[in-house]
Amino acid sequence: MADQTIIRFENVTKQYDQDPAVLNDVSFSIERGRFYTLLGPSGCGKTTILRLIAGFTEPTKGNIYFHEKVMNDVPANKRQVNTVFQDYALFPHLNVFENVAFGLRIKGCKNDEIKRKVLEALRFVNLVGYENREIKEMSGGQRQRVAIARAIVNEPEVILLDEPLSALDLKLRTEMQYELRELQRRLGITFVFVTHDQEEALAMSDEIFVLNEGNIEQSGTPTDIYDEPINRFVADFIGESNIVPGVMKEDYLVQCAGKNFDCVDGGFNRNEQVEIVIRPEDLEITLPDQGKLRMKVDSQLFRGVHYEICGYDQDGNEWLVHSTKKANVGEEIGLYFDPEAIHVMRLGETEEEFDKRLEAYSEATHAD
Amino acid sequence: MKKKNGLGPKIYLAIVFVILYAPIFYLMVYSFSSGDKMYNFEGFTLNHYKEVLQDTRLLIIVLNTLVIALLSAALSTILGVCGALAIYYVRKLRTQNSLLTLNNVLIVSSDVVIGASFLLLFTIVGVKLGFVSVLLSHIAFSVPIVVLMVLPKLNEMSPTLIDAARDLGASRWDTLSKVILPFITPGIFAGFFMALTYSLDDFAVTFFVTGNGFSTLSVEIYSRARQGISLSINALSTLIFFATMMMVIGYYFIAKRNQRGAGMGVGK
Repeated sequence: MADQTIIRFENVTKQYDQDPAVLNDVSFSIERGRFYTLLGPSGCGKTTILRLIAGFTEPTKGNIYFHEKVMNDVPANKRQVNTVFQDYALFPHLNVFENVAFGLRIKGCKNDEIKRKVLEALRFVNLVGYENREIKEMSGGQRQRVAIARAIVNEPEVILLDEPLSALDLKLRTEMQYELRELQRRLGITFVFVTHDQEEALAMSDEIFVLNEGNIEQSGTPTDIYDEPINRFVADFIGESNIVPGVMKEDYLVQCAGKNFDCVDGGFNRNEQVEIVIRPEDLEITLPDQGKLRMKVDSQLFRGVHYEICGYDQDGNEWLVHSTKKANVGEEIGLYFDPEAIHVMRLGETEEEFDKRLEAYSEATHAD
Repeated sequence: MKKKNGLGPKIYLAIVFVILYAPIFYLMVYSFSSGDKMYNFEGFTLNHYKEVLQDTRLLIIVLNTLVIALLSAALSTILGVCGALAIYYVRKLRTQNSLLTLNNVLIVSSDVVIGASFLLLFTIVGVKLGFVSVLLSHIAFSVPIVVLMVLPKLNEMSPTLIDAARDLGASRWDTLSKVILPFITPGIFAGFFMALTYSLDDFAVTFFVTGNGFSTLSVEIYSRARQGISLSINALSTLIFFATMMMVIGYYFIAKRNQRGAGMGVGK
């Protein structure tokens, strides 16, 4: 496990002058050959982490390790990482070949070696035959690929990608998501990908770090984070969700909207105030008396894949439903959901406490 | 939309250009006149041109002027690029602005003031008035122009370009020589040519700081014109005019080429 770790952040803080810290005591590690995503709203510190790894900026406090060696002061040009920039940062005075060859020429590689490696890198990103094009003559998607080729040709241990898809249109973006993921698998290089787009993060990552205001709120696989967000911020940021206050009557029984529901969460105090999360796609429309909840439809939008139906229950809680079935505005409908659809969040719980609780109550279940 | 946009403005423009260019053409026409007065065109001759080309003193002065212009333009381009880079790398916005203002003051301040102050300086320091003093003062008034031409190019460059170069392993020198300088090359060329033209036609500053036995073209023409008009000056002016035109056209093509593909010539 330990020898798989390439980069490790240890209590890293970054602060400019007297402003509030951009990164606040952040610790995590990055392992070989995995696809990581730093996800968060703008200003959450995700790009700062990237710049710290790349060496464009130094931490105010804490240490950054590269193979267990401190590399706080190692300048960017001496680090085994390469970056794909948001605006691609291709050199406009060089053609495609020379852009990709830039790093190799700096290293002083021989001409035939450069040629072989550059052509191989261009083949990797499907740009064979474009070597002599000027950057100006390339489209956004092609420039993107040149930028990626320029990074992978140096055979770094880690590639950093700073919102590289944000300038592309939706269709191309989806296409590039597949390609990037595929590329990462083939190369086996660690990717650290920064984005504010949660769908992108869920689709591509092995592991996601959700960041907010300079802190890592939660880290885990996409399914972990989607199914078991630890707090309101994560639940809200990753996909759409219904977040409703509730009371934990006992383990596996939660009360909300005036009713008791079975659930699969435990490890709480009796009658503890909690928040419950139900994803809109887990709610199923039924006849009013067959559902677990009754709701009056307030509005409905056709989203293509599904209808987005919004309504209120008797207690005034708002519910969002994604359904392929159509409802009528003003109509009373029933909502059915499985116990597994409910996810209970303890208020103000940190990720560490969450993991501990999860372990404790799943052990208790197994002991039965 | 409306067809009113027709004749009026065109006529106006034509008049303006006629007024601007008429004296030059008048002068050029009389450079071919066989008389020695600027009226009554008497007959076609190239004698005045022959006279100019046989005047060794004048040719030496032309050579002086060119040497001064090329040398001062080259040196001030180097200094100006360094200056622009220095201003670009100043972190604090306020310092950056004050440096830029100091630079611009030198451009707008009148040549007479610059010339007089240089004359004072050279006299106090003890620099002999002549080639060196003229060269130094030309460099001095050209540097701010180069800075002004190069700085916008630097600001146009995305800072991530520098990050990208560093990221790919480039040292500071590599970054400068392989990324920054190629990017600002059009600005450097523009600065060089501006410095060249400013130096070529400078009169006031040169007039102050030149000494015995050294003269540039503008100063020489001025002193000859004072002694009475000779049509050889017309011939000389015509030659200079065409030389300048060639330079303007040359500059135009270089600028156009840079606009189209900045990548030419660098890709080995």
